[in-house]
Amino acid sequence: MSSPAVSDAQLIARVLVQDDRHAFGELVRRHQSVVRATLRKLTGGNHALADDLAQETFLLAYRNLRSFRQEAKFSTWLYRIAYNTFLADTRKMKELPLPEDTDADDLASVDHDETMSVASGAVLSVDLARAMATLSDAERAAIVQCYHNDLSHEEAAYVLGCPVGTVKTHILRAKQKLKARLSGWGPET
Amino acid sequence: METDRTQRGDEWLEAALAADARDHAAYLADDGFTANVLARLPQVAALPAWRRPVVALLWLIAGCAVAVALPGLFYDVFHSLIATVFGQALTLSRITVALTLLGALTWSTIVYAVREE
Repeated sequence: MSSPAVSDAQLIARVLVQDDRHAFGELVRRHQSVVRATLRKLTGGNHALADDLAQETFLLAYRNLRSFRQEAKFSTWLYRIAYNTFLADTRKMKELPLPEDTDADDLASVDHDETMSVASGAVLSVDLARAMATLSDAERAAIVQCYHNDLSHEEAAYVLGCPVGTVKTHILRAKQKLKARLSGWGPET
Repeated sequence: METDRTQRGDEWLEAALAADARDHAAYLADDGFTANVLARLPQVAALPAWRRPVVALLWLIAGCAVAVALPGLFYDVFHSLIATVFGQALTLSRITVALTLLGALTWSTIVYAVREE
Protein backbone atom coordinates (compact mmCIF):
# COMPACT_ATOMS: atom_id res chain seq x y z
CA MET A 1 0.00 0.00 0.00
CA SER A 2 1.39 3.42 -0.93
CA SER A 3 1.88 6.05 1.75
CA PRO A 4 -1.20 8.23 2.16
CA ALA A 5 -1.15 11.82 0.89
CA VAL A 6 -2.51 13.13 4.17
CA SER A 7 -0.81 11.96 7.35
CA ASP A 8 -2.62 10.64 10.40
CA ALA A 9 -1.49 13.72 12.32
CA GLN A 10 -3.10 16.03 9.76
CA LEU A 11 -6.34 14.06 9.85
CA ILE A 12 -6.35 14.14 13.66
CA ALA A 13 -5.83 17.91 13.58
CA ARG A 14 -8.83 18.29 11.26
CA VAL A 15 -10.99 16.23 13.59
CA LEU A 16 -9.92 18.25 16.61
CA VAL A 17 -10.17 21.70 15.05
CA GLN A 18 -13.15 21.35 12.72
CA ASP A 19 -14.82 18.19 14.06
CA ASP A 20 -14.25 16.90 10.52
CA ARG A 21 -16.02 13.54 10.46
CA HIS A 22 -14.77 12.72 6.97
CA ALA A 23 -11.24 12.98 8.35
CA PHE A 24 -12.15 10.66 11.20
CA GLY A 25 -13.74 8.29 8.69
CA GLU A 26 -10.46 8.20 6.79
CA LEU A 27 -8.61 7.35 10.01
CA VAL A 28 -11.07 4.51 10.66
CA ARG A 29 -10.69 3.23 7.10
CA ARG A 30 -6.90 3.23 7.42
CA HIS A 31 -6.73 1.40 10.72
CA GLN A 32 -9.86 -0.76 10.84
CA SER A 33 -8.14 -3.78 9.37
CA VAL A 34 -5.32 -4.03 11.91
CA VAL A 35 -7.55 -3.17 14.86
CA ARG A 36 -10.16 -5.77 13.87
CA ALA A 37 -7.48 -8.37 13.15
CA THR A 38 -5.85 -7.73 16.53
CA LEU A 39 -9.17 -8.07 18.33
CA ARG A 40 -9.93 -11.26 16.42
CA LYS A 41 -6.72 -12.69 17.80
CA LEU A 42 -7.42 -11.46 21.31
CA THR A 43 -10.96 -12.87 21.30
CA GLY A 44 -9.77 -16.23 20.05
CA GLY A 45 -11.33 -15.85 16.62
CA ASN A 46 -14.74 -14.52 17.62
CA HIS A 47 -15.23 -12.23 14.61
CA ALA A 48 -18.58 -10.75 15.64
CA LEU A 49 -17.34 -9.86 19.11
CA ALA A 50 -14.08 -8.53 17.67
CA ASP A 51 -15.94 -6.22 15.29
CA ASP A 52 -18.18 -4.95 18.11
CA LEU A 53 -15.12 -4.23 20.22
CA ALA A 54 -13.40 -2.59 17.24
CA GLN A 55 -16.37 -0.24 16.82
CA GLU A 56 -16.21 0.56 20.51
CA THR A 57 -12.48 1.16 20.16
CA PHE A 58 -12.94 3.77 17.43
CA LEU A 59 -15.78 5.49 19.31
CA LEU A 60 -13.56 5.74 22.38
CA ALA A 61 -10.73 7.02 20.19
CA TYR A 62 -13.03 9.73 18.82
CA ARG A 63 -14.16 10.81 22.29
CA ASN A 64 -10.62 10.83 23.68
CA LEU A 65 -8.75 12.14 20.66
CA ARG A 66 -7.70 15.27 22.56
CA SER A 67 -5.77 13.11 25.00
CA PHE A 68 -3.66 11.60 22.18
CA ARG A 69 -0.30 13.29 22.68
CA GLN A 70 1.47 11.78 19.66
CA GLU A 71 4.05 10.19 21.99
CA ALA A 72 3.22 6.91 20.30
CA LYS A 73 2.04 6.16 16.78
CA PHE A 74 -1.70 6.53 16.28
CA SER A 75 -1.97 2.81 15.51
CA THR A 76 -0.19 1.94 18.77
CA TRP A 77 -2.55 4.23 20.66
CA LEU A 78 -5.47 2.43 19.00
CA TYR A 79 -4.02 -0.95 20.02
CA ARG A 80 -3.93 0.28 23.59
CA ILE A 81 -7.58 1.35 23.48
CA ALA A 82 -8.51 -1.91 21.76
CA TYR A 83 -6.75 -3.95 24.44
CA ASN A 84 -8.43 -1.99 27.26
CA THR A 85 -11.80 -2.42 25.54
CA PHE A 86 -11.14 -6.14 25.24
CA LEU A 87 -10.16 -6.37 28.94
CA ALA A 88 -13.29 -4.48 29.99
CA ASP A 89 -15.43 -6.84 27.94
CA THR A 90 -13.62 -9.87 29.32
CA ARG A 91 -14.29 -8.73 32.86
CA LYS A 92 -17.92 -8.24 31.95
CA MET A 93 -18.36 -11.55 30.18
CA LYS A 94 -16.10 -13.55 32.56
CA GLU A 95 -15.42 -16.16 29.93
CA LEU A 96 -14.81 -16.10 26.19
CA PRO A 97 -15.91 -18.73 23.69
CA LEU A 98 -13.05 -20.68 22.18
CA PRO A 99 -12.87 -20.85 18.39
CA GLU A 100 -13.79 -24.57 18.24
CA ASP A 101 -16.65 -24.02 15.78
CA THR A 102 -14.69 -21.88 13.41
CA ASP A 103 -11.82 -24.35 13.37
CA ALA A 104 -13.95 -26.91 11.60
CA ASP A 105 -14.98 -24.34 9.02
CA ASP A 106 -11.40 -23.29 8.50
CA LEU A 107 -10.33 -26.88 7.98
CA ALA A 108 -13.20 -27.51 5.59
CA SER A 109 -12.24 -24.49 3.56
CA VAL A 110 -8.73 -25.83 2.86
CA ASP A 111 -8.36 -26.57 -0.85
CA HIS A 112 -7.54 -30.27 -1.16
CA ASP A 113 -5.69 -29.69 -4.43
CA GLU A 114 -3.11 -27.54 -2.77
CA THR A 115 0.30 -28.92 -2.07
CA MET A 116 0.99 -30.97 0.99
CA SER A 117 3.16 -28.29 2.54
CA VAL A 118 0.43 -25.69 2.21
CA ALA A 119 -2.10 -28.08 3.77
CA SER A 120 0.36 -28.85 6.50
CA GLY A 121 0.84 -25.15 7.13
CA ALA A 122 -2.91 -24.66 7.32
CA VAL A 123 -3.25 -27.43 9.88
CA LEU A 124 -0.40 -25.96 11.91
CA SER A 125 -2.18 -22.61 11.72
CA VAL A 126 -5.36 -24.19 13.12
CA ASP A 127 -3.40 -25.95 15.85
CA LEU A 128 -1.64 -22.70 16.65
CA ALA A 129 -5.00 -20.92 16.94
CA ARG A 130 -6.19 -23.63 19.35
CA ALA A 131 -2.98 -23.37 21.34
CA MET A 132 -3.25 -19.57 21.43
CA ALA A 133 -6.72 -19.95 22.91
CA THR A 134 -5.25 -21.77 25.90
CA LEU A 135 -2.97 -18.85 26.79
CA SER A 136 -3.98 -16.32 29.40
CA ASP A 137 -5.35 -13.04 28.08
CA ALA A 138 -2.13 -11.23 28.99
CA GLU A 139 0.10 -13.86 27.35
CA ARG A 140 -1.99 -13.91 24.20
CA ALA A 141 -2.01 -10.12 24.08
CA ALA A 142 1.78 -9.99 24.42
CA ILE A 143 2.22 -12.46 21.56
CA VAL A 144 -0.27 -10.61 19.37
CA GLN A 145 1.36 -7.22 19.95
CA CYS A 146 4.96 -8.38 19.50
CA TYR A 147 4.55 -10.95 16.73
CA HIS A 148 1.38 -10.06 14.86
CA ASN A 149 1.52 -6.28 15.20
CA ASP A 150 5.32 -6.32 15.15
CA LEU A 151 5.68 -3.94 18.09
CA SER A 152 8.84 -3.66 20.13
CA HIS A 153 8.74 -4.82 23.75
CA GLU A 154 8.59 -1.17 24.82
CA GLU A 155 5.65 -0.42 22.53
CA ALA A 156 3.88 -3.58 23.68
CA ALA A 157 4.42 -2.50 27.29
CA TYR A 158 2.75 0.83 26.46
CA VAL A 159 -0.19 -0.93 24.81
CA LEU A 160 -0.61 -3.47 27.59
CA GLY A 161 0.00 -0.95 30.36
CA CYS A 162 2.68 -3.00 32.12
CA PRO A 163 6.49 -2.95 32.54
CA VAL A 164 8.72 -4.19 29.74
CA GLY A 165 9.94 -7.03 31.95
CA THR A 166 6.39 -8.26 32.36
CA VAL A 167 5.92 -8.30 28.59
CA LYS A 168 9.05 -10.42 28.20
CA THR A 169 7.84 -12.78 30.91
CA HIS A 170 4.44 -13.13 29.24
CA ILE A 171 6.09 -13.92 25.92
CA LEU A 172 8.44 -16.46 27.47
CA ARG A 173 5.61 -18.24 29.26
CA ALA A 174 3.38 -18.07 26.20
CA LYS A 175 6.04 -19.64 24.02
CA GLN A 176 6.64 -22.39 26.59
CA LYS A 177 2.93 -23.18 26.59
CA LEU A 178 2.73 -23.05 22.81
CA LYS A 179 5.72 -25.38 22.50
CA ALA A 180 4.12 -27.81 24.91
CA ARG A 181 0.77 -27.71 23.09
CA LEU A 182 2.39 -27.96 19.66
CA SER A 183 5.11 -30.43 20.60
CA GLY A 184 4.14 -32.68 17.71
CA TRP A 185 5.19 -29.97 15.25
CA GLY A 186 8.61 -29.41 16.84
CA PRO A 187 11.89 -31.11 15.94
CA GLU A 188 12.38 -34.74 17.02
CA THR A 189 14.37 -34.93 20.29
CA MET B 1 14.26 -8.07 18.12
CA GLU B 2 14.24 -11.44 16.44
CA THR B 3 17.39 -12.61 18.21
CA ASP B 4 15.99 -11.28 21.45
CA ARG B 5 12.86 -13.38 21.02
CA THR B 6 14.36 -16.52 19.53
CA GLN B 7 15.85 -19.23 21.66
CA ARG B 8 17.72 -22.25 20.35
CA GLY B 9 15.29 -24.90 19.16
CA ASP B 10 12.44 -22.42 18.86
CA GLU B 11 12.89 -21.76 15.17
CA TRP B 12 9.90 -23.87 14.14
CA LEU B 13 7.68 -21.99 16.61
CA GLU B 14 9.05 -18.66 15.42
CA ALA B 15 8.33 -19.73 11.84
CA ALA B 16 4.78 -20.75 12.77
CA LEU B 17 4.18 -17.45 14.55
CA ALA B 18 5.65 -15.55 11.60
CA ALA B 19 3.34 -17.41 9.19
CA ASP B 20 0.40 -16.67 11.46
CA ALA B 21 1.46 -13.01 11.55
CA ARG B 22 1.48 -12.92 7.73
CA ASP B 23 -2.12 -14.19 7.73
CA HIS B 24 -2.94 -11.61 10.38
CA ALA B 25 -1.47 -8.85 8.20
CA ALA B 26 -3.88 -9.64 5.34
CA TYR B 27 -6.13 -6.63 4.78
CA LEU B 28 -9.67 -7.01 6.07
CA ALA B 29 -12.20 -5.44 3.72
CA ASP B 30 -14.10 -2.57 5.27
CA ASP B 31 -17.55 -4.00 4.39
CA GLY B 32 -19.43 -1.10 5.93
CA PHE B 33 -17.42 -1.07 9.14
CA THR B 34 -16.38 2.59 8.79
CA ALA B 35 -19.94 3.64 7.96
CA ASN B 36 -21.19 1.87 11.09
CA VAL B 37 -18.63 3.65 13.25
CA LEU B 38 -19.48 7.05 11.76
CA ALA B 39 -23.19 6.40 12.29
CA ARG B 40 -22.52 5.80 15.98
CA LEU B 41 -20.57 9.01 16.54
CA PRO B 42 -22.31 11.49 18.84
CA GLN B 43 -24.58 13.89 16.95
CA VAL B 44 -23.43 17.44 16.39
CA ALA B 45 -25.45 19.89 18.49
CA ALA B 46 -26.96 21.72 15.51
CA LEU B 47 -28.59 25.09 16.19
CA PRO B 48 -32.01 25.56 14.59
CA ALA B 49 -31.90 27.77 11.48
CA TRP B 50 -34.28 30.36 12.95
CA ARG B 51 -32.20 30.93 16.09
CA ARG B 52 -29.82 33.65 14.87
CA PRO B 53 -32.34 36.00 13.21
CA VAL B 54 -34.70 35.66 16.16
CA VAL B 55 -31.92 36.50 18.62
CA ALA B 56 -30.89 39.50 16.50
CA LEU B 57 -34.51 40.69 16.34
CA LEU B 58 -34.92 40.34 20.09
CA TRP B 59 -31.79 42.41 20.69
CA LEU B 60 -33.09 45.08 18.31
CA ILE B 61 -36.46 45.17 20.09
CA ALA B 62 -34.74 45.37 23.46
CA GLY B 63 -32.57 48.26 22.25
CA CYS B 64 -35.57 50.15 20.88
CA ALA B 65 -37.50 49.53 24.09
CA VAL B 66 -34.70 50.97 26.17
CA ALA B 67 -34.43 53.98 23.86
CA VAL B 68 -38.18 54.64 24.01
CA ALA B 69 -38.58 53.99 27.72
CA LEU B 70 -35.59 56.04 28.74
CA PRO B 71 -35.25 58.83 26.17
CA GLY B 72 -33.39 61.14 28.55
CA LEU B 73 -30.87 58.45 29.46
CA PHE B 74 -30.43 57.47 25.80
CA TYR B 75 -29.85 61.11 24.86
CA ASP B 76 -27.39 61.65 27.73
CA VAL B 77 -25.41 58.54 26.85
CA PHE B 78 -25.42 59.37 23.16
CA HIS B 79 -24.48 62.99 23.83
CA SER B 80 -21.65 62.02 26.18
CA LEU B 81 -20.38 59.43 23.73
CA ILE B 82 -20.26 61.86 20.84
CA ALA B 83 -18.76 64.59 23.02
CA THR B 84 -16.10 62.17 24.19
CA VAL B 85 -15.30 60.95 20.70
CA PHE B 86 -15.26 64.29 18.99
CA GLY B 87 -14.42 66.44 22.01
CA GLN B 88 -16.76 69.10 20.66
CA ALA B 89 -20.38 70.08 20.81
CA LEU B 90 -22.85 68.23 18.62
CA THR B 91 -23.55 69.47 15.14
CA LEU B 92 -25.99 68.19 12.59
CA SER B 93 -23.26 66.85 10.32
CA ARG B 94 -21.59 64.93 13.13
CA ILE B 95 -24.90 63.46 14.27
CA THR B 96 -25.43 62.34 10.67
CA VAL B 97 -22.00 60.72 10.57
CA ALA B 98 -22.57 59.03 13.90
CA LEU B 99 -25.98 57.73 12.84
CA THR B 100 -24.50 56.47 9.57
CA LEU B 101 -21.78 54.62 11.46
CA LEU B 102 -24.31 53.24 13.90
CA GLY B 103 -26.54 52.10 11.03
CA ALA B 104 -23.61 50.43 9.29
CA LEU B 105 -22.64 48.70 12.51
CA THR B 106 -26.19 47.48 13.08
CA TRP B 107 -26.49 46.29 9.49
CA SER B 108 -23.17 44.43 9.72
CA THR B 109 -24.25 42.81 12.97
CA ILE B 110 -27.52 41.63 11.46
CA VAL B 111 -25.77 40.29 8.35
CA TYR B 112 -23.29 38.47 10.58
CA ALA B 113 -26.07 37.08 12.75
CA VAL B 114 -28.10 35.63 9.89
CA ARG B 115 -25.14 34.47 7.76
CA GLU B 116 -24.93 30.89 6.48
CA GLU B 117 -22.57 28.60 8.41
